Amino acid sequence: MTHSLPNPMKPHLATLVGVRNLATGIKLFQVKIDDAEVMRRFDYTPGQFAEISAFGVGESPIGIASIRARSEAIEFAVNRVGTVTETLHRLDVGDKIGLRGPLGNGFPMEQFKGKNIVVLGGGIGGAPLRPVVQTILHNRSDYGKLSIFWAARTPDLLVFTDEYDEWRAAPNTELHLTVDKATPDWLHKEGLITTLVEEVAPSAENAISITCGPPIMIKFAMLSLQKLGFASEQNWVTLEAKMKCGIGKCGRCNIGDKFICLDGPIFRFDQVQQFLESFV
Amino acid sequence: MKVLTQAQLNEWLNHLAERFTLAAPVNVQGKLLYRQVDDSSGIAWGFERTDMSPKTWTFPATEPILIIEQGAETRLDDAPAPAPTVVFGVRPCDARGALAIDALFLDKEPSDGQYARHREATTLIGLACPQMWDSCFCTVVGGAPNSTEGLDLLLTEVDGSDGAAYAVQIISEKGEKLAAGMPGEEKGVSLPKPRLAKGLPTLPASQEWKAQFNETFWKQVTERCLGCRACTFVCPTCRCFDVRDEVVSRQPGRTVLQRLRAWDACTSAPYRRIAGGHNPRPTQHSRLRNRFYCKFMYYPDDFGPLGCVGCGRCIEACPVNIDILEVIAGVEQLAASGSS
Repeated sequence: MTHSLPNPMKPHLATLVGVRNLATGIKLFQVKIDDAEVMRRFDYTPGQFAEISAFGVGESPIGIASIRARSEAIEFAVNRVGTVTETLHRLDVGDKIGLRGPLGNGFPMEQFKGKNIVVLGGGIGGAPLRPVVQTILHNRSDYGKLSIFWAARTPDLLVFTDEYDEWRAAPNTELHLTVDKATPDWLHKEGLITTLVEEVAPSAENAISITCGPPIMIKFAMLSLQKLGFASEQNWVTLEAKMKCGIGKCGRCNIGDKFICLDGPIFRFDQVQQFLESFV
Repeated sequence: MKVLTQAQLNEWLNHLAERFTLAAPVNVQGKLLYRQVDDSSGIAWGFERTDMSPKTWTFPATEPILIIEQGAETRLDDAPAPAPTVVFGVRPCDARGALAIDALFLDKEPSDGQYARHREATTLIGLACPQMWDSCFCTVVGGAPNSTEGLDLLLTEVDGSDGAAYAVQIISEKGEKLAAGMPGEEKGVSLPKPRLAKGLPTLPASQEWKAQFNETFWKQVTERCLGCRACTFVCPTCRCFDVRDEVVSRQPGRTVLQRLRAWDACTSAPYRRIAGGHNPRPTQHSRLRNRFYCKFMYYPDDFGPLGCVGCGRCIEACPVNIDILEVIAGVEQLAASGSS
């Protein structure tokens, strides 16, 4: 035991440098860590998350929604659903928050090089997938065809709508949109993301899929992908759980003997299938 | 081996109480708890198993882990360092419980800084059990009433010429340091053999537990669980925690907050429920099953030691008589019947 062990539960003090509405009940926060040296060294990969403090309330694990190559600040899309996120939504530019991270394993983007990539994002589940899309677009020739399936319950809940034109315009890239319940001005599909995926039927050959959404969506998305010939080893999912520490101590996010915060949140679906407990 | 009379031990403990925070079993309105004592007279001598484990001294039920000051500037500071503490009268099972928590909080990266400060500041003086009491099953999970594991010193009551006497085993460097200047006499003494419990089950290996995960047995055994969390709070190895902020003081232009961590329990319904309402462990049977699997499969597989030291407190504390020994025996039986 050494005396001067750092306290891994102590966050970095950080400042909100940008706040904007992303969708109904969802805001995008741009964050800079106050210590310039820590900020400079803050290196992360798509799929990793951070514990964000709303001082006086507590912490929540939030997926990082940006990549370093595109954004100087660290970005988080926050859905207002609980006490911490409710408090974060009341903050504005210049306000202080706490940040611990980056946490979790992240997507093996190197391993995905040369592959066709199918992305399935449901609602706020699109947030941790935006760094995947951005990484591919930023290094376009490293990856094969990119098929993005983006869904939400209603059109006003779709995230990153202002980036769709850029995604569509990128070479070898498709964007497919759907909502569970359309409004009169909705020009795209209405229905479940799984229906749309099966309709478009991206090829499983030399492909991988990446899914983030509510557990029920992951469950049915895996069945649809299976129908299209995707083996479990080709499907990647990012799971969420209630977490307190984010560093494998508090016990809260275990699924069987795995901790989502340490062993995940990114899993290949065949690993998830071997979990002792169901994740849904 | 050094042997102390009761009077010498009292004198030594009184001396320790001047230099350290001295904690020992105290009778608090009929409950035996590890509390700070001013001198040896406050100790509940002759105690058997305490109602709570001394875990409270190295992993307090609630403690600040961060101080947050909000004013013209925001400042984040570590919580105050724990005071140097000696816990006297630690039962061998509870010392092994501390080792189990060490395996996760210290040995598994990243180390938990706050817990490390507690462990470093704390010296554990054991008192060997002369026998296994009702519900005790340390021998099922690799322990013994006179085990030295995890202790700094172990005292064993021996027959003295004039009342009780204690033989002193020095286990660690920390213990050696503490024992320097201890009164008593060097004597050839043989330590009494503790009386062991009979008819206990044999603990199935972790792969046996794995094989029984989906058995209907779990629904039967956990049907009456109330989710009251008593079993986890009395447990010397349960270490799940919650984190939340609290206001310490609020003045114009300056607010002081503390971030607290507090014991939590996987057996409670809201433990896994996320904002928005989804609960991946929606039934009481899945929650209580997790507690047993954590102890007998996940903990040994992932961190080394078992997550149970056989203190038997959960058996005594359960208001609906769920008995971890019956659970162990049930899994043993399932494994033997080859339903795996």
